[in-house]
Amino acid sequence: MYLLEHDAKELLAQHGVPIPAGRLIDGDETIHRPALPPGPWMVKAQTFSTGRGRAGMIRKANTLQQIVDHANAVLGATVRGQRIKAIRIEQQVTAAEETYLAFLIDPAAGGIRIIMSARGGMDIETLPPALIKTDVSPPDYTSLVACARRLAAAMPSHVAGAMGAAAEMLACIFIEREALLLEINPLFVKSDGRWVVGDAKWIADDNSLFRQPKLRELLRQRPATYPASHLKLEHGFDYVVVDPQGEIGLLTTGAGLSMMLIDEMRDAGLKPYNFLDVRSGGLREETTRLVQVLRWIAEGRNVRVLLVNIFAGITDLGEFSTLLVAALRKVPQLKVPVVARLVGNGLQPAQATLDQAGIRLFTDLDSALDEVRGHLAKDRESTP
Amino acid sequence: MISPRVARGTPVIVMGISGRVGALQSRLMKEYGTNIVGGVSPVSERNEINGIPIFASCSDAVKATGAMHCVALIAAPHLLAAMTEAVAAGIKYMVTPAEGMPVYDALLARRMALDAGMLWIGPSTPGMAVPGDTKLGFIPNDALRPGPLGVMSKSGTLSYEAGYRLSQRGIGQSVWIGVGGDPVKGTYYSDLVPFFAADTQTEALLIIGEIGGHEEEDLATALKVQQFSKPVYALIAGRTAPEGVAMGHAGALIHGNHGSYAAKHAALEAAGVRVLSSLNEMVEGVCAQLR
Repeated sequence: MYLLEHDAKELLAQHGVPIPAGRLIDGDETIHRPALPPGPWMVKAQTFSTGRGRAGMIRKANTLQQIVDHANAVLGATVRGQRIKAIRIEQQVTAAEETYLAFLIDPAAGGIRIIMSARGGMDIETLPPALIKTDVSPPDYTSLVACARRLAAAMPSHVAGAMGAAAEMLACIFIEREALLLEINPLFVKSDGRWVVGDAKWIADDNSLFRQPKLRELLRQRPATYPASHLKLEHGFDYVVVDPQGEIGLLTTGAGLSMMLIDEMRDAGLKPYNFLDVRSGGLREETTRLVQVLRWIAEGRNVRVLLVNIFAGITDLGEFSTLLVAALRKVPQLKVPVVARLVGNGLQPAQATLDQAGIRLFTDLDSALDEVRGHLAKDRESTP
Repeated sequence: MISPRVARGTPVIVMGISGRVGALQSRLMKEYGTNIVGGVSPVSERNEINGIPIFASCSDAVKATGAMHCVALIAAPHLLAAMTEAVAAGIKYMVTPAEGMPVYDALLARRMALDAGMLWIGPSTPGMAVPGDTKLGFIPNDALRPGPLGVMSKSGTLSYEAGYRLSQRGIGQSVWIGVGGDPVKGTYYSDLVPFFAADTQTEALLIIGEIGGHEEEDLATALKVQQFSKPVYALIAGRTAPEGVAMGHAGALIHGNHGSYAAKHAALEAAGVRVLSSLNEMVEGVCAQLR
């Protein structure tokens, strides 16, 4: 889960990290002077895409009117395909060095990598390698803090103290919150040695949410900002509407096969409505999850057929098909034909259950897709 | 290090055997021919499940059976503890299918496995199989068939579909290893390159990948550096998916531009891998070579 800059900063502030005072403005909210920190200000688009700065979505403002003008220009604009729905207005940090500090999980090294440079900012990727110091540490507090101190000591003396202090503090937060990435760019360092987080990119581990109450709380407060992670937390599976105009609802399991199915359908000119990895091995003899998914698919205005595709490894197809038939009965609003393609453990009992329910079963995916095409064609003929 | 290929008759124990998944999958593995010699369940009061003797701890099971291979059908939050127990008991080959293992747990588990010289396959994997001989995990029988193709996969279900279609065309697998789709795990594609290069029953290699991370790119490097000479095919899911989460400047500084379908495609092709864009194209490509 990639946190918005605003959320990353406010979480850091809860741990005592210095950030510029600021507030989030969501959509149509009116901007009032008393609610703002003292100026001058930065108006910063809150999106999950990189390149906000280059796209002109981070702007300076000296007056309330400038803030309003920038807000109007930024809100609703699009950066790399993502619409900007919120901005953070914060106090400008002036007269400070811009440095760079990042922590990230390094899978190959099996540890946490720290990256430091006395020269931060947008051009960090084009700096000569000699200006960037990096090392990997085992994933424990003592080693990571020692590694952070070692790297900071190699920085120019006027920023080394502040960078070391910042790195030590952020190292502990990185481990405590089980982050995958925490990148501070810029990390402002003032001439008196104080430091402030200028921008923060934080990627949290969705798999550790069960033991990270602060991140869980954030998701529950802002489900609309983090729909995929919120859904995973609340329901335990992945579902994304990939095309609101899509015609084919997908009841599928396994991320890889579901993605490939969508790729191939699009190549063939078909319009899938959703991506789903329902984790059919974890239904625990309950229809709850399937009913939920079918209700969501029923919301697709153009959905004309439901394709079920399960290649059963851990799933028991006998149990799955009984649950499927029961779930379909509980979602009468989904009035579309169902095409099932099932292979794997428990196919025989599944065949009997689906036969009884009048659902055609295929074991070959291409034949199932032909059947889907047939339903779409029939549907077009019958609609004037 | 123990061989990734598990010989027929190798004794295997199952941790978490008394759970719903454990009971079902241990029976299916046994039916396939895997020599399941014991199960571990600290809670079950039964002496046996599916004719498999039950032990209260992994170390009891290892002492009684001499097994060094283990499948843990245990939920993600408890995997690290189970692996710690298995390492202490002397397990040298461990398959952990559960999805959703916290990355920090995986980091600790990976270091522990490396220190102990244990081959760890997982998390988020259907496991591994030597078709016709044995399987550790639940790769479906419909997809398995003895043959010349080595398989490494990040995606369980997509590999099932690929294996199933190739099997129907008469092409089976030598050794099939689901490395799993998580960023931090026990075994990466590139770790297995020396094994598949040396394995005399493997004539070609099939890679089932997914967008995200840089494992396909790392594999491309390993194939080039180690001068892997057998034909390699790759199928990568997510060609039409939107760009995923980027790891900021930090990711770019360490790994360069990676993760997208285009980046993986380019890296693999440059290493001599044939990247095929659909299941049917993959089947035709592999058949043309191996039939």
